[in-house]
Amino acid sequence: MSGPAMPAIGAGTRFPAIQVHNHVLSVLVVVAAVAVATLGFVTVAPNRLISGRPVALWLAADPRFGVAIALFGALLLATAFVPPRRELHFAAAAIAAVLFLLVLAAAGQSAGALMTSASPARRVSLGAGFWVLLGASGLAVLDGLQRARAGIVSQLAVAVAITVGFAAMAEAGLFDALSLAREYHTRQDLFAGALIRHTVLVAAAIGPAVLIGFPLGVAAVRRPGWQGSVFAVLNLLQTVPSIALFGLLIVPLAAVATSVPSLARLGVGGIGMAPALIALVLYALLPVVRSTVAGIGGVDSAVVDAARGMGMTRRQRFWRVELPLAAPVLLAGLRIVTVQAIGLAVVAALIGAGGLGTFVFEGLGQYAADLVLLGALPAIGLALAADFLLQNTTALLCRRTAR
Amino acid sequence: MAAGAVVVASKIDTEGALLGNMIAEMIAARGVAVERRIQLGPTNIVRAALLAGQIDLYPEYTGNGAIFFHRESDPVWKNAAQGYAEVKRLDAAENRLAWLSPAPANNTWVIAIRGDLAGFAERKCLDDLAAYLAEGGRFKLAASAEFVESPSALPAFEKTYGFHLKAQQLLTLSGGNTAATLRAAAEGISGVNAAMAYGTDGELAALGLSALCDDKGAQIVYAPAPVARQAVLDQHPEIAAVLEPVFASLSLETLQALNARIAVAGEDAGAVAADYLKSKRLLP
Repeated sequence: MSGPAMPAIGAGTRFPAIQVHNHVLSVLVVVAAVAVATLGFVTVAPNRLISGRPVALWLAADPRFGVAIALFGALLLATAFVPPRRELHFAAAAIAAVLFLLVLAAAGQSAGALMTSASPARRVSLGAGFWVLLGASGLAVLDGLQRARAGIVSQLAVAVAITVGFAAMAEAGLFDALSLAREYHTRQDLFAGALIRHTVLVAAAIGPAVLIGFPLGVAAVRRPGWQGSVFAVLNLLQTVPSIALFGLLIVPLAAVATSVPSLARLGVGGIGMAPALIALVLYALLPVVRSTVAGIGGVDSAVVDAARGMGMTRRQRFWRVELPLAAPVLLAGLRIVTVQAIGLAVVAALIGAGGLGTFVFEGLGQYAADLVLLGALPAIGLALAADFLLQNTTALLCRRTAR
Repeated sequence: MAAGAVVVASKIDTEGALLGNMIAEMIAARGVAVERRIQLGPTNIVRAALLAGQIDLYPEYTGNGAIFFHRESDPVWKNAAQGYAEVKRLDAAENRLAWLSPAPANNTWVIAIRGDLAGFAERKCLDDLAAYLAEGGRFKLAASAEFVESPSALPAFEKTYGFHLKAQQLLTLSGGNTAATLRAAAEGISGVNAAMAYGTDGELAALGLSALCDDKGAQIVYAPAPVARQAVLDQHPEIAAVLEPVFASLSLETLQALNARIAVAGEDAGAVAADYLKSKRLLP
């Protein structure tokens, strides 16, 4: 109990209360700050095989980077306390984008500094602190764009700005000392080919998977009795390990190639693209059929009855009523299938089909984490790009059908 | 697929990439069209592809004949010359495959210990390990499940040298990856101070580990050699003579050094292979 002599501060004059308006942003900044304080920003190892020793941001990078990162972090945190406005969210996204690039630059600069006058066998890799900081600023960019209800154009503009900034720094050789960049330089000639091959594999698998899976899904909706057995087979396929499937496919595909030379000339054989594509198509069937059943089967039967009452034929009902109404679910399914296929295509390297998995498996064999990342990071990038593209296509198409 | 090109493949691992690239370089240098399928996949995939005629040749280990022909308990595999002759005979008769001249190296299973393990003689052999264990020295081995369980691996070491590792002296990893076991020993993860390794692993020296010699020959000999489809050799009979000096030059130490350039220094396997062949004047 306070004494009667104590004046009651603030009893009459109310100061504007400090209030957190954006909890997501404030949590992101706090998490990033804790990560920087407690985790290594980069790790330094005497050679490629040994785990590195963590080095904190302020010890690894030029102090100017530390100050700039702290400044922009504080600025980002400050925006969380300001009452929300659209312009504010855009500003927060821009600050976070700058922070994202600053973190990348700081990592490159740290590696350069730690490699000077060191044995060339020494490896500077990206530490846990770096990943948390980069992830937090990336999420802050997305949070800002989402709250500002940014359109496709501004989203693309931010993505392009970050990509151009990254490319300019890479071109200037800022990242050259990082272990990841050194793995890339050793395999520079193979990298573009692997990335293209990965994309081709995914694209070539999605087509047949949709062409087979969609009719199968529609058939399963029309004849509910079939659903049990269709899903039983597809579920079973999903559980066969890819490496076992590849082993099983070599002999029959080789036999096909020998008996049909024209197919062999197209590149069909027991190893390479053919078995990899078959495996990817088989794995993609389950999600395609599932979302077809969910989409077409989920259309309100009263709406279909009404269409029938209006005198629409069966074909008209399907194309003009059921398909447009199911489109959002079908496209969401396509998104899942594509992202899943981008991840799964990594195993194609095990049957000689190439792609980004080549680096992943070579890195796993040598226990070289940065070589694994050289395969994994572009795959993640591809998945994010595909997701962004399909999400916006879905939004665009659904807006049109709703009109 | 280029018509008539010789399809050179290899296993997915470091040494596979090195030897596969050497084979491809040498054959291509003789003007034979070559299609490269280097690092095609794990052993079972590459072997199946060769048997199905999808690839024409790749480097394989003589001791794997024990698995291919389901004769793991046959002592013939423990002798380099006899094991090579046996797998050559069996593959020629059953699969029309030809084993070309092997390298004088043995990429067999070994036990590697940390340099700071006290009480070992200068020349470290498995006898010393048996003595060390009998005196109750602290020991923990990281190894694959296959190494621990396969009668031709750890049990063969234990029987030949008269020691026995208790369950708490083993850290069993389900995969057979020596990169993982070597790192566990080098960094002392979970108290591990010894690792299962392969004889030609290039990482041992860089990680401060040394392989214990198996002077009583407890293990199957795994000498690397090119294995090719006879039909392809009939078409290109010069291949055998072209590869013979290459494999003859690959001693255990040479392979360790070349593997280290790939695994430790992170160089490209193709570049290391070409560089080596030029330095030995096997390629212009």
